[in-house]
Amino acid sequence: MLDTASAYRFVQERLGIDVKSTDAATELASLGVDSLSLLELVFEIEERFGVKVDQDTPLPRSCGDLLAMIEQFASVKP
Amino acid sequence: MTPRRVAVTGLGLVSPLGATAADSFAALLAGRSGLRLHAPADAPKALAVPAGVCADFDADALFGRARAGSLDRYSQIGIAAGLEAWRDAGLAPTPDEDRDAWGVAWGTGAGGALVLERGYRDLYIGGRERLAPLTVVQAMHNACASHLAIQFGLGGSCATYSVACASAAMAIGEAFRRVRSGAAPVMLAGGSEAPLAYGVIRAWLALQVLAPGDADSAALACKPFQRERAGLVLAEGGGALLLEDWARAEQRGARIYAELAGYGESCDHSNLVRPSSAGQARAVRAALADAGLAPQDVDYVNAHATGTREGDSIEIAALAAVFGAHAAQLAVSATKSAHGHTLGAAGALAAAVTVLGLHHGVVPATLGDEAALDPDCGGVSHVTGAARRGAPLRAALADAFAFGGSNAVLAFRAHAAH
Repeated sequence: MLDTASAYRFVQERLGIDVKSTDAATELASLGVDSLSLLELVFEIEERFGVKVDQDTPLPRSCGDLLAMIEQFASVKP
Repeated sequence: MTPRRVAVTGLGLVSPLGATAADSFAALLAGRSGLRLHAPADAPKALAVPAGVCADFDADALFGRARAGSLDRYSQIGIAAGLEAWRDAGLAPTPDEDRDAWGVAWGTGAGGALVLERGYRDLYIGGRERLAPLTVVQAMHNACASHLAIQFGLGGSCATYSVACASAAMAIGEAFRRVRSGAAPVMLAGGSEAPLAYGVIRAWLALQVLAPGDADSAALACKPFQRERAGLVLAEGGGALLLEDWARAEQRGARIYAELAGYGESCDHSNLVRPSSAGQARAVRAALADAGLAPQDVDYVNAHATGTREGDSIEIAALAAVFGAHAAQLAVSATKSAHGHTLGAAGALAAAVTVLGLHHGVVPATLGDEAALDPDCGGVSHVTGAARRGAPLRAALADAFAFGGSNAVLAFRAHAAH
C-alpha cells in the first residue's frame, strides 16, 4: 500500500515541488509541469508504489488536485 | 539582383569542454581536453571507455526538474544550445512578429537513444509490460527540433536530418538554402547527440573504431593525424547557429559573426564505412563553388578527422586534391581531439568552432604533439598543440563526413573580409 509521505517525497524528487507547502490553488502548469510531465509522473507513481489509477481519472491541474490524487492512491489497495 | 546573403548572428554550444559557446571555445583555445574515462550508468557488465561527457551541463537548473525529466538528454542538450544561439542573436524570447516563415533544421544520428535503451532494459531485463508514456515522444528523432519550434514560435519548416555524422552539417546547409532563397528570413539550425548509452557504446566497440584508453590516457585518446591514432572517441554535445538574412540582420543592428557563404554535398556511393577522397573532394569543391570562393581564398579547414587510421589520411588526400599548391598554406585542425566525436551533432560543433575562429581571428589546435604527426597526413599546415593567432582568416570550411558515404561541407567567410 502506498505510503503518502513516500509519495510526497517522490513527487518532490521528480518535480522539484513541495506539494504540501504550496498553495492548493496553484496551477501545476505555472510551476513548469505540463500534461506530458504529469502523465509520466502518474506512471512512475503507479510503477513505484504498485497502485493503479483509473484511466478515466482526469490528470491533476493544481497542487491541490495532485495532493488529492496521492491521498486517493493511499486509500486504494494495490 | 544581388543574391541574398546569410549571416550567422547567434551561436550556442554545449560540449564536453563547457556548457556554453564561450566556455567551450575558451577551453579549446587553452588546449584543454574534455575527454575522460566514462562508465555508463546501469551497465549490466563493467565497461569504461574514453568519452566526452558534458559534465558542466545542468539540465535540472536550466529547465526545472519536471521539464528536464520529460526530455531525452539529446533534446536537453539541443534545446540548451538553441536557447543560447537565440539569446546570443538578441531575438525576443516570444513571438512579437510574424514567424510563420521562420523555421528550425536539426541534425541527430541517434535521437533519443538513452530513452529507448532505458525502455528496452525495463522490458527485457526488468520484465515490465508497460513503458513510460513519454517513450515515443522523447525518443523520436524530431523531438528536439519540435521543442525548439514550440519554444520560439517557429511556424515555418521544422525538419530533422539524420545522416549519421553529417546530420547537423546537412541541417545547417539546408537551412542556409532556405534563408538564401528567401523562403525563410530566419532559421535556427544545428544538431545534438547523446550517445553514451551502454548499448550504443557496445555497438561502436563491435565496429572496432573506438580509441582505447584508461583513466590516465583518456584525455588524449583521440589522436587525429598522428602516427599512433587508434580510433575515435564518442561524445555527447550540441551546437546551434542562428542564420539570418543579411539585410535583415544589418537592419536590426545585429552582431554578425560571419557569413555562411556556401554549402556542398556529395555521396561516395562506394562503401558504407570506408570514406572516399574523391567523394569528399566533390563536396569541398561544391561548397567553394557555391560560396564563390577560389581555393586560395580559404585559410582554415576544421577537419572531420575523427582519429581513425583510414579516415584522417583520406580527408587530407581530398584537401590536397582540391587545394593543390595552396594546401601547404592551408591551416587544418581536428578539434574532435578535444571535444570528441558527437556523431550527428559533429557538423554543428565544427561550424560553431569555425565561425568563432573566423570571428576572433584564431585557429584552434588539434591536441597533441607536432612531432607525432603522421607523414601520411602531411601536405597541409597542421595547427597542433597550440592555437594559431595573428594570421588573417578570410574564409574557412567545416567538414562533416558520414558513414553511408554522405559528405557535407560548409563554407564561411569572415565578416571583416567584406
